[in-house]
Amino acid sequence: MLVIDDEIQIRRALRNAFADTGATVLEAGTARQGIDLAAAERPDLIILDLGLPDAPGAEVCREIRSWSTSPILVLSARHSDEEKVRLLDAGADDYVTKPFSTSELQARARALLRRTQGTGAGGASRIEIGGLVLDLAARSLTRDGEAVHLTPIEWDLLREMMTNAGRVLTHRHLFTHVWRGRQFGNASQYLRVYVAHLRRKIEGDSLRPRYIVTEPGVGYRFATAAESGARD
Amino acid sequence: MVWALVMAGVTLGLLVVRDRLDKAHVTLVYLLVVLAGTVGGGRTLGLALAGAAFLLFNWFFLPPFNTFVINDPFDWLVLLAFLVVSATAAQMLHRLRAEADVARRRAAEVDRFAALGAEALKVGRAEEAVTAVAEVIRQTLGLNDCRIHTREAVAAGGPAPDSLVTWSAAHGWAAMRQADGTTRLTESGEPPLGRLHDAVALYLPLTVQSRILGVLELIGGSPIVLSPAQQRFLVALTHYAALAVERTRLEAEAGRVEVLREADRIKDALLASVSHDLRTPLTTIKALAHEMSGDDDRAMTIEEEADRLNRLVADLLDLTRLKGGAFTLAVEINAVDDLIGALLQRVSGALGNRELRVGLQDGGTLLLGRFDLSQSLRILVNLVENAHKYSLPGERIDLTVAREGERLTFALADRGPGVPAAQWERIFEPFYRGPGALPETGGTGLGLAIARQLARLQGGDLTHAPRPAGGTIFTLTLPAADLPVPTPAS
Repeated sequence: MLVIDDEIQIRRALRNAFADTGATVLEAGTARQGIDLAAAERPDLIILDLGLPDAPGAEVCREIRSWSTSPILVLSARHSDEEKVRLLDAGADDYVTKPFSTSELQARARALLRRTQGTGAGGASRIEIGGLVLDLAARSLTRDGEAVHLTPIEWDLLREMMTNAGRVLTHRHLFTHVWRGRQFGNASQYLRVYVAHLRRKIEGDSLRPRYIVTEPGVGYRFATAAESGARD
Repeated sequence: MVWALVMAGVTLGLLVVRDRLDKAHVTLVYLLVVLAGTVGGGRTLGLALAGAAFLLFNWFFLPPFNTFVINDPFDWLVLLAFLVVSATAAQMLHRLRAEADVARRRAAEVDRFAALGAEALKVGRAEEAVTAVAEVIRQTLGLNDCRIHTREAVAAGGPAPDSLVTWSAAHGWAAMRQADGTTRLTESGEPPLGRLHDAVALYLPLTVQSRILGVLELIGGSPIVLSPAQQRFLVALTHYAALAVERTRLEAEAGRVEVLREADRIKDALLASVSHDLRTPLTTIKALAHEMSGDDDRAMTIEEEADRLNRLVADLLDLTRLKGGAFTLAVEINAVDDLIGALLQRVSGALGNRELRVGLQDGGTLLLGRFDLSQSLRILVNLVENAHKYSLPGERIDLTVAREGERLTFALADRGPGVPAAQWERIFEPFYRGPGALPETGGTGLGLAIARQLARLQGGDLTHAPRPAGGTIFTLTLPAADLPVPTPAS
């Protein structure tokens, strides 16, 4: 994995945190160096600090994302929702605010690695998460073996979320992928309503969702198979 | 005297060629002299010249010569006609000249006003404009000195102002000082400019829309006498002076606003950099503590305290932003399901095995509101954590959500010790801590203060009431919303 951070202390702490996992940790102190290393070494995971002296974080994200599919985990000292949304839209996969706890960072990194290394998101025609089975070829959904009827928008919404399970999808991402080509008024308002209806169809208790997790101020995230099973 | 010589010279000249002259030639030449005299010396001279010409004409040019006797009655007619024509011409010429003079003075007045306006506008700094206006007034009225005192300068007790300046600035009335040293005060802003008695100094208040902006001080070397035109001019000038003073004031104010804005910008930048620069070392501290946690349980305390420090700084910054009106919210239509779902997820770890029971008003309908999801979540998390902190282990917490008209209410009830009646409002003050709370409960004492501000900023409120069977109920209200719900095919 690659750590891009200008603070030596934080680089050291991250190196130690991932030492026991057996991962090789590459380090870069500037954005330029980081981008070059990412291109040369093709790391499985990139941890990017936003406070770099030579380039704004969103730019670095966008540049790496333009030729790499490696997951990017962003570290930021800024806590605002707009900042999170901006970075996720720029191509970051997850976002941790400083000061973070090492265990949380380790868990997020593991989740990102598992997602890219697992087969799920690729070209599979069947996605199975928890008790939900989404058959992309047959356009059908079963919950614990029983068929669930979905409207076309609900279907598109669920498919977008399940194929990106584990990833935070911003509101904007969901509009552009689900409402693309459809007639809509103010979709940003309806998105919440559709999610609420979808939850009532697939969740046991829509107030304690197993699958569709709200990321306040940012968007939604579909739980991974490991999470949704563990929380039961 | 000059004109007597002219008249004598003309007469002599005419006498030389008297034999070859007709009476008409003589009258026309004399008329010319009368008119020239009127132009040069005014009406009185013109009329005197007309009288002299009448006599000289009669004496030298009407036969019999060198007597006032006139033989031909037609000559009487010529003489009389000459007298009337020359007198009328002198009179008319005089009136024309007088009117031309008035017009010229008016034009000069207009010129001076234009000059004054230009002075007041073209000068870069407003203070210089005030000085320029004073100088124009001094020159125009022929005064020894003219000063404009702004009210601020008078109030600040500038360079020893005249006591009448202070008085005039305080009351907005005019005053004058007379040659013998006595003073006269008027009970209005406009003094009787036509009757200045022996005033050597005049003090006129400068007002705009009945606000006193300053005082115009006029000082003459001898008693000030103002012609009607100058009086008119002075009245208009005081308005100019008032505007110049007002401009100075506005300019100073604009400068102050600019300074304040700059201070505000620096404060924001400082707040942002404090929070950023503090979080970076905190991250290192936490990471290092985590590495040590295997060997020493004090490492865990270091991590917890680092978190607490971070929360305290974050809360202080937020409270500052909330009070300063610099806090931005993302208010949009949100589903209550999202809010409660996120709340349950967020607090599940902290609550341990305590039960948080959620009651939604007729569970079937989808409740919608117009609020900021993140900040509303923060309010509820804070309330739940408080309830958890002040309740005995095992006691249940209830959250009831309902729509009441245009509002959504979130009532959170605990079975803790409750809040003493005397402190019901104080709990929303920054740094207030409940009497039962121990310092190490980990809070910052800012939670409720921030929560209430956040609720109000979203058009809602946060209130407290005792729970009838013991404990407290905190009620968060937020604006409800409606949407034409798209009907899902069933």
